[in-house]
Amino acid sequence: MAKIEFRNVVKRFGDVEVIPDMNLVIEDGEFVALLGPSGCGKSTSLFMLAGIYVPSGGELLFDGHVVNEVEARDRNVGIVFQSYALYPHMSVRDNILFPLRFKKTPRDEALGRVKGAADLVRVAELLERKPSELSGGQQQRVALARALVKEPQLLLLDEPLSNLDATLRLSMRTEIKSLQEKLGVTTVLVTHDQIEATTMADRIICMRAGRIEQIGTPDDLYLRPASLFVASFIGSPPINLIAGEAQGGTVAVNGAKFPVEGASGAVTVGLRPEHLRFGDSGFTGHIVQIEPMGREILYVVETGIGIIRVLEQGSSATHATGEKVKIGFSPENSLVFETAHQKLLPGAHVHAPA
Amino acid sequence: MAVKATPAVFSAPEPVVDWDVLAARARGLRRAKAVVLYAFLIAVSLPIILPYFWLVTIAFSAKTGVAETAVLWRSMAVVVPTVIALWLAAAFAQSRRQMWIGMGAVAAVAAFAFALLVGPDLHIGNFIFLWEPDFASVVRSRIGEVKGAVQFPNVWHAFGNSILIAGTQTAIVVTVASLAAYSLSRFQFPGRSAMLRSLLVLHAFPVLTLIVPMFLMLYWIGLLDTLFGVILVLVAFELPFAIFIMKGFFDAVPWDIEMSALTDGASRRQAFLSVVLPQVRNGILAIAVFTFIRGWEEYIFVFTFLIRNTNWTMSLYMYWVRDDVMGVDYGVVSAVGVFYLVPSLILYLAAQRYLMQMSIGGVKG
Repeated sequence: MAKIEFRNVVKRFGDVEVIPDMNLVIEDGEFVALLGPSGCGKSTSLFMLAGIYVPSGGELLFDGHVVNEVEARDRNVGIVFQSYALYPHMSVRDNILFPLRFKKTPRDEALGRVKGAADLVRVAELLERKPSELSGGQQQRVALARALVKEPQLLLLDEPLSNLDATLRLSMRTEIKSLQEKLGVTTVLVTHDQIEATTMADRIICMRAGRIEQIGTPDDLYLRPASLFVASFIGSPPINLIAGEAQGGTVAVNGAKFPVEGASGAVTVGLRPEHLRFGDSGFTGHIVQIEPMGREILYVVETGIGIIRVLEQGSSATHATGEKVKIGFSPENSLVFETAHQKLLPGAHVHAPA
Repeated sequence: MAVKATPAVFSAPEPVVDWDVLAARARGLRRAKAVVLYAFLIAVSLPIILPYFWLVTIAFSAKTGVAETAVLWRSMAVVVPTVIALWLAAAFAQSRRQMWIGMGAVAAVAAFAFALLVGPDLHIGNFIFLWEPDFASVVRSRIGEVKGAVQFPNVWHAFGNSILIAGTQTAIVVTVASLAAYSLSRFQFPGRSAMLRSLLVLHAFPVLTLIVPMFLMLYWIGLLDTLFGVILVLVAFELPFAIFIMKGFFDAVPWDIEMSALTDGASRRQAFLSVVLPQVRNGILAIAVFTFIRGWEEYIFVFTFLIRNTNWTMSLYMYWVRDDVMGVDYGVVSAVGVFYLVPSLILYLAAQRYLMQMSIGGVKG
């Protein structure tokens, strides 16, 4: 188990600066997610942790020791790749055994540990098979077993669920989470899927273009997004962003006025679809599409200021396509951002539902 | 935004379709296509197969001092109808089982006819060179000639030389090409793309143009008339293409498994040997087979750079046999040819499965 620290870490590939300056502390035993769109530097960070990329500057510390130059094989890091990267010519047993080969573990002990790791992820009955004879979920488990068998001080998961079908993804999510809790191993998950990040990680590091936008618990990121980017990246269906104007601490949007401390100039008001409801006043428009989502219904409404999405509880639609509606919102549920800096105004954030 | 339904407009009543007739027509068409295709393939492959068939027939039937073609025509009279009958059996069989029965029947009839028409003429006397090193004198004495013949080395000696050249060349090419191709596929270094381009250009030159300079080089180095000299020359000419093919195979191996091996505690070398190399096994087999056969059939360089008859390879042996006893006994020449052919044939048959998988796809610059 290890405490991980990035201190002013820089990574360049030729002239391209992928990570300009990264500072981050991951506590021992913590489960964090690096979340961001593709190309935001999250995989680069992961490969630096694994020791495959050497940082171009700054310091990377494991338990207080600088590991910049330490080779991948000496770091005792377990990694699960998006493609699982199982060795195709080896049986499942040899795949899981592979990391122990280089540790000079006595044969009997090694086989015992392989058995243990296989039991842990429930692939014990597949040991004789080749990876090509396994389903996606089974390959995933074997990759996990291989990463865990060497008892790593750090477990890295690179988009581990993206190749699985929806049902399997759900159960693997639960399984990985409980496995991590049981073993207490420091874990870094890299993903572009906000649901994966929010459901599994203790803390989320939201990245954009090589920089950290926000670090926080899933609740922090959803209820108090630091920037417009985080607000629009987290949440499904996505947040509605509406342009407004503020003067002397009062925000005006579509005729409605409400006070927000320190607001002035152009602002962007963020409204989560579940915080909007149809009423007698507010944004007027007509419903262009209805998307039933099981427990909720999503209405896509075309208004004078663009498309607005409204989420309503219930499993049957109470409105019809083409119907004229008015959408109301309550100021305490609105997120107000300065349009110029795209930052959240400190005076405004959604209060946790009572 | 409801879509307005357009009323259906049908001017003519729907014609009655007989699905059985359509199915029968399609079936007939498919079969006709297959028949035409096979006829074409047989027509173009006969000129390739026939010389080999004759070579074998002559090797097992010709007699010293007799130049007759009757056996050839009789064997043709068996083979050509057999091929056509096999084709018809395949074309008209209604099921797989019928096809095998038909082909089996044709093969049985053909074997019987062959034994009847050609059988009495078959013998293995032409393979005298395998057990009689001075076979040339023996063959000549049969027709009364006794003048001094070329001193032939033992054929097994030439066979050994050929194996040595082809085998050593293969070992060197496979080792060097694998390592070079891996580096070209995985590492960035100055001159990498220039090297890749020159690999292709090198292969474009006709090697024969270099024969005089190569001769001089080998002479000055002191490797003229040594097997090792020839091996070096062959390796130099075979390497570019082998590297190019192997690079394609290495490019197809995902980075992930290599990175995974590195984090699993392997060094770069261990990762290469235990994880990457097994993925390109087919590529290695392919270049090994091609390089071996290339060395086995090599003629020009061994003819130019090897002089002593103890350094003869199978191709030189074949050349001198033809030079010495052709006209007296073409049966022996054919027999040497068959003997020379067998190792390549065995190698190809054994490795065919892997050669079919070879592709030069996935070549990145």
